[in-house]
Amino acid sequence: MSEVLIQAGAGIVLAAVAVVLASRLGLGLSKELAIAAARAVIQLTAVGAVIVAIFEVPALAFAFVAVMLVTAAFTAGRRIGGVPRARVYAFGAIAAPALTATGFLLAVGAFDVTPRAAVPTAGILIGGAMAATSLTGRRLIEALDADHAEIEARLCLGDSAREALRPSIRRAIHTGLTPAIDQTRSVGLVTLPGAFVGLLLGGARPAEAASTQLVVLLSLLAVELAAAALLAEFVQRAAIAPGERVHQGSTPWRSK
Amino acid sequence: MVSDGLRCENVRVREVLRGVSLAVAPGEVVALTAPSGEGKSTLLRAIVRLVALDGGVVTLDGVDVTSLDPRVLRRRVGLVAQRPVMLPGSVADNLAYGLQAPPDPRAALEAAGLHERFADRDASELSGGEQARVAIARALTRKPEVLLLDEPTSGLDAPLAEAIGRHVRELAADGLAVCVTSHDRAVVQQWADREQRLGAE
Repeated sequence: MSEVLIQAGAGIVLAAVAVVLASRLGLGLSKELAIAAARAVIQLTAVGAVIVAIFEVPALAFAFVAVMLVTAAFTAGRRIGGVPRARVYAFGAIAAPALTATGFLLAVGAFDVTPRAAVPTAGILIGGAMAATSLTGRRLIEALDADHAEIEARLCLGDSAREALRPSIRRAIHTGLTPAIDQTRSVGLVTLPGAFVGLLLGGARPAEAASTQLVVLLSLLAVELAAAALLAEFVQRAAIAPGERVHQGSTPWRSK
Repeated sequence: MVSDGLRCENVRVREVLRGVSLAVAPGEVVALTAPSGEGKSTLLRAIVRLVALDGGVVTLDGVDVTSLDPRVLRRRVGLVAQRPVMLPGSVADNLAYGLQAPPDPRAALEAAGLHERFADRDASELSGGEQARVAIARALTRKPEVLLLDEPTSGLDAPLAEAIGRHVRELAADGLAVCVTSHDRAVVQQWADREQRLGAE
């Protein structure tokens, strides 16, 4: 049997173990686990096929990155559902830093300007930006509610709406960046991240795998911070009403 | 030159306020009462433009408040919320919040009936009554012309409420215009020069 089939089979067996275990423990998670596993099988099989075509036709690489961006924007946009045009904001907050950083890495020669190098790099950066915007956005929407009395107290003391929101925005961006900072700090000690493991399994020299992982990790810090800050700025603009007022998270944003 | 004080004419906000008029002159304490509902708080918040008006006009010293910078308006008209929020830091930090030149904490604390030793205390560790007075002192450091107090005695015992009332009367005697909402008859009788009922024009 080929190595591919053995790998896939072993993965499916362990996924089945998770489904059975969840059922035995009565967690009500079996169905969700099974669906997630099935999706992974289908999506990765499809990507495996599509990626061959992408490596051949560069135009398809652009289309693929566009699909990744739209999917990321929908996922992150759901987290800030109450805000008008949430998906557009999420798209901007994810795309601008992720594409800028990808362009920078390609321009300075950190990666080859080929679909084989550029698409996975863009994918990792888009994924990081999506995680940071989701977390920051959700925390900020919650804060607009939870901190409302504090925000109004600051307004009553003569703050502008921006000044009154600043502490809540700071806390939301802190929350959004925590996973990226933890991941960067613990790399090699607690976790061996995907790019490193993938390159090693693919036969790359450890030093080469490490430097590739390093450039990705360090880029993620900038990309995730910029993404979180951009999203916070978009949400802040939507939250501020004329007359230095701030909408409450749970009240309709369209209200005057 | 005596200020014209605060005037609300035919103020409407959604279904909550349907044409409310109110006048508070410098040196006067007006008690704002209502049978129930959120109307009183909404009116105070509308005066400082935390809520948009659907009709009517609010003037401060004869000037429509919508023509003022909201940041300036909210310093000239100090609103103390029903459950005041203490900002992070000491009492002195709270008193100085957002001000270019740090005020003398003693004067502000004294005017609100607190000893100057409170200045260095952590604001979040104060009792409810102490926080209520720090909130008044904090509004006073902005040198307001009008003070709006939303249910200032809720959760406080009677002697403490009376003490705050005496200080509010002294502030009014020095020329401050004060509007206080309360459902407590004692507050209305002890603090106020006159009572205005919402929904009973």
